[in-house]
Amino acid sequence: MSQNGNKKAFYPDYLPFVLVAALIAVEAIIASALLFPPRIGPAIDLTAPYQPKPEWYFLWIYQLLRYFPGSWAIFGTVLLPALLILSFIFMPYIDRGPRGRKKSLLVGIVLFTSLAVLTLIPVLTGR
Amino acid sequence: MQRRDFLSWLLKSAYAVLGLGCVATLPYLYRGGNEDIKTFFVKTVDEDDLPRRGVKEVEFPFRGLTHKAFIVRKNTDLFVLSPICSHLGCSVNWNFVNNEFDCPCHGGRYDMSGHVIGGPPPKPLTRLPYVIKDGFFYIGIRA
Amino acid sequence: MIRRIINLLDRWFGTKEAHRNFLARALPGKIGVSYCLGGMAFTAFLVSVLTGLLLSIYYVPSGTEAYPSIVTLHNEVWFGWGIRSIHKWSANFLIIFVALHAVRVFLHKAYRPPRELNWMAGALGFVLIMASGFTGYLLPWDQKAYWATVVGTSMAKTVPGAGGLLVRLLRGGPEVAGATLVRFYSMHVLWIPFGLMLIFWTHFHMVKRQGISGGL
Ligand code: HEM
Ligand code: FES
Repeated sequence: MSQNGNKKAFYPDYLPFVLVAALIAVEAIIASALLFPPRIGPAIDLTAPYQPKPEWYFLWIYQLLRYFPGSWAIFGTVLLPALLILSFIFMPYIDRGPRGRKKSLLVGIVLFTSLAVLTLIPVLTGR
Repeated sequence: MQRRDFLSWLLKSAYAVLGLGCVATLPYLYRGGNEDIKTFFVKTVDEDDLPRRGVKEVEFPFRGLTHKAFIVRKNTDLFVLSPICSHLGCSVNWNFVNNEFDCPCHGGRYDMSGHVIGGPPPKPLTRLPYVIKDGFFYIGIRA
Repeated sequence: MIRRIINLLDRWFGTKEAHRNFLARALPGKIGVSYCLGGMAFTAFLVSVLTGLLLSIYYVPSGTEAYPSIVTLHNEVWFGWGIRSIHKWSANFLIIFVALHAVRVFLHKAYRPPRELNWMAGALGFVLIMASGFTGYLLPWDQKAYWATVVGTSMAKTVPGAGGLLVRLLRGGPEVAGATLVRFYSMHVLWIPFGLMLIFWTHFHMVKRQGISGGL
């Protein structure tokens, strides 16, 4: 298999590296867990003023909701998130034809920057 | 050939049964409408403690949790507003500095009558029914 | 000793033979660390499964007992807080690793034929992982969990026509209540992990058959 000069075999050439990477992942998780343990939040209280925040990986939807008042709400809650997710899933079919890669790069960059910006706004403004 | 046709028919009907089975789980997951929604009148404050003017927040127990509602007296009108934001269901607070209800979630704002004056809510705050009986103020909540 | 056990197992199951193609598969000569991200994501998933199994020993999925059971788990069970913490952090790292893995695949154009199905399998896995994070967020049944789920499930209400039906389907009733907690728990510990394992299995098999794309 590895007769071809610039090819290598998964085993024994790469497997050790993958195992080291896995170990690093486990250590990063455990170190963060020991350094920053979660707290127990207050019990459910329907009377206290409370602003729930989602996990950081849902902040983009949270921010999106603010832009669509009244009957436009469905754009923020369903349509735009669905468009985002579908264009991510069907990326291989966006990259079709002679200018395929250009199209998919465009979509990819738009996806990435909108997610990043929508996540950063609530993080930075603290709302 | 006869046998082959039969087998392929069998296979197709097996797929159909499988597909129908999947669709049938949806109403199962939905749980059905066995519980009918009714209005329960819950005892809150003494009639004498109703606000003369402005907004008063009241708390009352219902099904193991403490709920809240706003009793509003505007001119001669008396009505009760549900705290549930018409946008996505957070609990609004009375802001006595600006005389408005503010939603902490996405910045919804309502005036004293519950009409939307800002932010994403599509509808006014819900008005809850009430009765005054034996000197107490009862608020009706639908559950 | 260990070698002998491995050889014995191999004689029974033929593991090495079946995976010879996987182990000896040719890879591009120059590969960077970014190729490890998928494996790191899988590792984080395994950590979340292990700690999740441990949490489920003490956690009680019921409207009245979920919160006290978390308090007991966190404060009284030996290292309970630590298992909880590792579970949470494994979820965060899982999302980060999967996202970076997807970026790596995208930059290398490795979603192109013949790998388009594998891209879609991975993307679907990403969606399931997000769903796992959403359902898991409710389980502590505290203030944050409750209101985040009220808002999150209300989003389905905005769908014209079917909105009310969808919200009830998600909540198992008109309000976020004990019934919601139970179905989120079921999704979180049974449906989604099972779905993810199926997806990972197809994902890795396709990697084996199609190989790693030859770099840039
Ligand atoms: C087989 C796999 C899993 C099992 C059996 C499991 C089980 C559990 C249990 C019993 C809880 C409640 C305890 C607690 O809240 O601390 C929980 C919480 C949670 N899980 Fe999982 N889980 C699994 C995988 C995942 C994955 C893949 C994610 C990825 C996003 C995830 C994210 C969460 C989150 C965010 C919480 C809330 C933690 C907290 O607030 O303390 N879980 N899980
Ligand atoms: S829930 Fe009140 S503004 Fe969104």
